[in-house]
Amino acid sequence: MEFKRFLVNKLILFFTLSTLITVAVALVGSSFDDGARFGYKTMLLPLKYALLCMLPTFVTWSKRELSPKALLFRKALMLVLIEAVMLGIAFTSPSIDSDRAEVVLVVAGSVLVIFVLANLFLWLKDSAEAKKLNSDLEKYQQLHA
Amino acid sequence: MDVRIEQIGTTGEELVLIRCREITEEVREIEAFVKSRQGSLSCVSEARQYEIAVTDICYIESVDGKTFLYTNDRVYETAYRLYELEELLRSKQFLRISKPMLVNLMKIQSLQPAFNGRFLALLRSGEKVIISRNYVKALKDALKG
Repeated sequence: MEFKRFLVNKLILFFTLSTLITVAVALVGSSFDDGARFGYKTMLLPLKYALLCMLPTFVTWSKRELSPKALLFRKALMLVLIEAVMLGIAFTSPSIDSDRAEVVLVVAGSVLVIFVLANLFLWLKDSAEAKKLNSDLEKYQQLHA
Repeated sequence: MDVRIEQIGTTGEELVLIRCREITEEVREIEAFVKSRQGSLSCVSEARQYEIAVTDICYIESVDGKTFLYTNDRVYETAYRLYELEELLRSKQFLRISKPMLVNLMKIQSLQPAFNGRFLALLRSGEKVIISRNYVKALKDALKG
């Protein structure tokens, strides 16, 4: 993949992550600290988190097509880096009470759940697409045999 | 070089004749082009010249500026560039599936998802090749005809 196209994909990912993080913060916040009040600067936090979470995805960049195994390994590495980034944020952000162990667990768990779900949805979508492609391929080969 | 086209009846044998003073590289190229249009390609393997049927080729790959043809059991090198073969073999069920690769659609056994919108093509020869995300749409269009 060209690096320019890769960067465009990262930009799309950044905005997708911003939305998902906003939803996650709203759900987790309303469960653990429903009465909290924030200033306008807090609204920038999902963007900051999305940017920090997007940076580890650069480990999946490769000029040549990676094999499924190599890509899986890089995705696992990416998850570890994202977890490290998110836990780093949890421990340094004054708005998150990192003294409470469950908050850290919820942050790490949220990242894991979002990561697994996002990849699961993509895999299911690709599997459905592969099924359709196989059906079309069979017809194509019968037609041109 | 003068070019003449002579129309013959339905019973006569079709023939492309090149009359030249010397068999130059240009003449070889014209010969190779005519043969490729008829369904065979000139190539080299272990310092020997071969003519292989296009239908025997599983996939074609460009590596470090050289172009290789892969059949079920052998690898051949050809003087053609990948983009030239893409043009020549467009009507012979060959399709670009990644930047350095063309695949014979008739040699694909099945397709599987391979993460990130890519697909893995399992060839009848037992080999596996990656279909880059950028070329998936072209594959869908080709299979639908």
